[in-house]
Amino acid sequence: MRRKTYLDEINTNIYDIKNKDNYEYKAKKGLSKEIIEEISKQKNEVQWMRDFRLKALEMYNKLELPTWGPSLDELDMSEIATYVRPKGNMTNNWDDVPEDIKSTFDALGIPEAEKRSLAGVGAQYDSEVVYHSMKDELIKQGVIYTDMETALRDYEDIVKEHFMKCVPISDHKFVALHGAVWSGGSFVYVPKGVDVKIPLQSYFRLNSPESGQFEHTLIIVDEGARLHFIEGCSAPKYNKINLHAGCVELFVKKNAYLRYSTIENWSKNMLNLNTKKAIVEENGQIDWVTGSFGSKISMLYPMSILNGKGAKTEFTGISFAGKGQNLDTGFKVVHNAPNTSSVVNSKSISKNGGIATYRSLVQIMPRAKNSKCSVSCESLMLDSLSKSDTIPVNDIRTEEVEFSHEAKIGKISDKTIFYLMSRGLSEEEAKSMIVRGFAYPISKELPVEYAVEMNNLINLELEGSIG
Amino acid sequence: MNMLKLNETPLRTARNFKINNIKLENVEIPKKIEKFDNVNIINDNNNVSIKNIKNDVNIKYGVGEILINQINEKSNVNLEINIMGKNNENIILNFELDSKNKNLIDNINIVAKENSISNVIIKYTSKDDEVFHNGICNVIAEKNSKINITIVNLINDVSNNFYTINNIIKEDASVNYRIIDFGGKNSISNYYSNISDRASNNVDTIYIGDKEKVLDINYIAELYGKASKINMNVEGALNDYAKKNFKGTIDFKSGCAKSIGSETEYCILLSDNVRAKSLPMLLCGEEDVEGEHSAAAGKVDAKQLFYIMSRGFSYNDALKLIIRARFNKVIKKLDEDLKNIIIEEIDRRLK
Repeated sequence: MRRKTYLDEINTNIYDIKNKDNYEYKAKKGLSKEIIEEISKQKNEVQWMRDFRLKALEMYNKLELPTWGPSLDELDMSEIATYVRPKGNMTNNWDDVPEDIKSTFDALGIPEAEKRSLAGVGAQYDSEVVYHSMKDELIKQGVIYTDMETALRDYEDIVKEHFMKCVPISDHKFVALHGAVWSGGSFVYVPKGVDVKIPLQSYFRLNSPESGQFEHTLIIVDEGARLHFIEGCSAPKYNKINLHAGCVELFVKKNAYLRYSTIENWSKNMLNLNTKKAIVEENGQIDWVTGSFGSKISMLYPMSILNGKGAKTEFTGISFAGKGQNLDTGFKVVHNAPNTSSVVNSKSISKNGGIATYRSLVQIMPRAKNSKCSVSCESLMLDSLSKSDTIPVNDIRTEEVEFSHEAKIGKISDKTIFYLMSRGLSEEEAKSMIVRGFAYPISKELPVEYAVEMNNLINLELEGSIG
Repeated sequence: MNMLKLNETPLRTARNFKINNIKLENVEIPKKIEKFDNVNIINDNNNVSIKNIKNDVNIKYGVGEILINQINEKSNVNLEINIMGKNNENIILNFELDSKNKNLIDNINIVAKENSISNVIIKYTSKDDEVFHNGICNVIAEKNSKINITIVNLINDVSNNFYTINNIIKEDASVNYRIIDFGGKNSISNYYSNISDRASNNVDTIYIGDKEKVLDINYIAELYGKASKINMNVEGALNDYAKKNFKGTIDFKSGCAKSIGSETEYCILLSDNVRAKSLPMLLCGEEDVEGEHSAAAGKVDAKQLFYIMSRGFSYNDALKLIIRARFNKVIKKLDEDLKNIIIEEIDRRLK
């Protein structure tokens, strides 16, 4: 009887640190006008934001759940607390962060990474940002990097001009939910011509059980400026469902460049229904680098809207769906101006009953003459318990276009294993090398610490022969 | 008049992508169906019997419930074709719709018996009057049979064409389709194959959309058998204000180890006002398979055009030549008479 080689589930030990649910304020479970008003009151918000939240709640109640994708039947909003304020106030000194929270971020390596390779860090715990700091030279150059609550207070006009304009609350039900209960997140403004050479990173940690995290990230990269922003997220595993419905709005102005990298490793009880969108102006560029490893269910499709002539986008993403996971991920791009271009490179691995779906939209509008789009997606299935689907929609509305899409699905080639073994590698080493090689086009786009982390996440347990 | 919602994909994606189905307005489905007399059947094979027998349509997909019900309740041509042994001559069914035969609701059942070999050509043409066509070709390919089926849609540009193809392909059988989808104001087609062990299924389709034509092509192949094969190859050209949706699904079912599936779609865009949508789906519940798809769209390559025009061809002739070349995989397999008809039709539509 032939035996198969099995890959380990991703090791989540570091991410699984559970602290006592030690909050200063926790909203009642469920969703109602009173709860929304109370969240807004707790945050001492301006009236227009309070009104906005209530309008979003109305929209949430009107919109239907998606009729496609993974089933969200498990989600019961009456069992979710949408706002949990941890103890302590936001600080720019790790020593002032409450000990249990600090030790969690220490274990996740955030303060160490800040010292080593980041220009600024934001750390959110449950619904509020507990730490935010940025290097002085960037402050001197006029870069703003702070939490959304501070931004709403100190830069109200900019926030009002941009908040949920890129992602309107009518987009879908969970964006509307986000609009009603958002809390925390990061605000970044990079002034004209400023090149932020070292990345900024925000890390989102959800500790409280039966709760949701709804952080809002708003980034404006002004004309000719450059930024690399990294987002990390994790949570310990509980028996009941947690919800993440964040929202990321990115504005990339003329000739600006933004790279947005995400390593998502939510716990396996998390429903990750996040929304990310970028509007790119003339000759601007947004690059997305995404690794999706965690969550029970993910529905995540970052979107680039190429509104200016010559705007560009690249999407490089990998997802790894293990036992009990249904990761429905992909990318959307709208070419809405001449000479725009997009390149999509997506990979997925599914094993041990995991479901990995690539879902996408490429839309090339009539005015997008001389635009180019190239899409490539590959899926690797490591056993027949798993499932891997590719569901791409391509909508071409002009003649002057070069568009191509290709996808492949399959298993690790026996011939490749044989070839590597004939060069002296053991079967285990050969298989390990192939899986890492499969992921390499993505990992090489990540900062080195994250690439190492990703390789650790794809941890091989090697036994037996290839099935 | 009601909105018709047809040709649902086997798996839904986001509603705002507007491709899960096709919605048609102002399409009247005729309630009263008269007799249809204008069918010419040519069969010079001793091993083939063609009888006027009605079979109930009971299929997994199809163009849409309302149209399948119409076939079950009101079909005016019912044929059962039983094929045995090796047959050298083509089995030809020519349907011509005209003012006296305005509505064709045809229910064609083909049973290719074990070890049989055959070629079937089904052609739909029409005169200038507005006509209506709703048909089904239901094929059972028994063990080790081989059947080639050519379906030609040359219905006029003011009429509606709805077509369902349903295939059950048993062990070691081979079913090869050539589909030429040029006609109709709206041409909505649904293709389904259930493929067993070591069976193979090839579909080569060419289409042209011009004027304000709406084409909705929904191909679904489910591979159940070990070492089974599906190959979908769709080539088309869109001109004027035409709209096309190509939805191709290859579904590797658990247990179909060593199976191979491939689908390609290439759409040549000849006008700035066309709209080309595609949804090439790969669904995979089996590890040990090879699946791939590709879709591409763009205008005619300028270098190719320049090369041909530098040899003395006009722009229009060069264009026709390039499109004919892309369609050649299908055209070259046709009999001489049909080939000439198709080439003439390409030239006429690309004037």
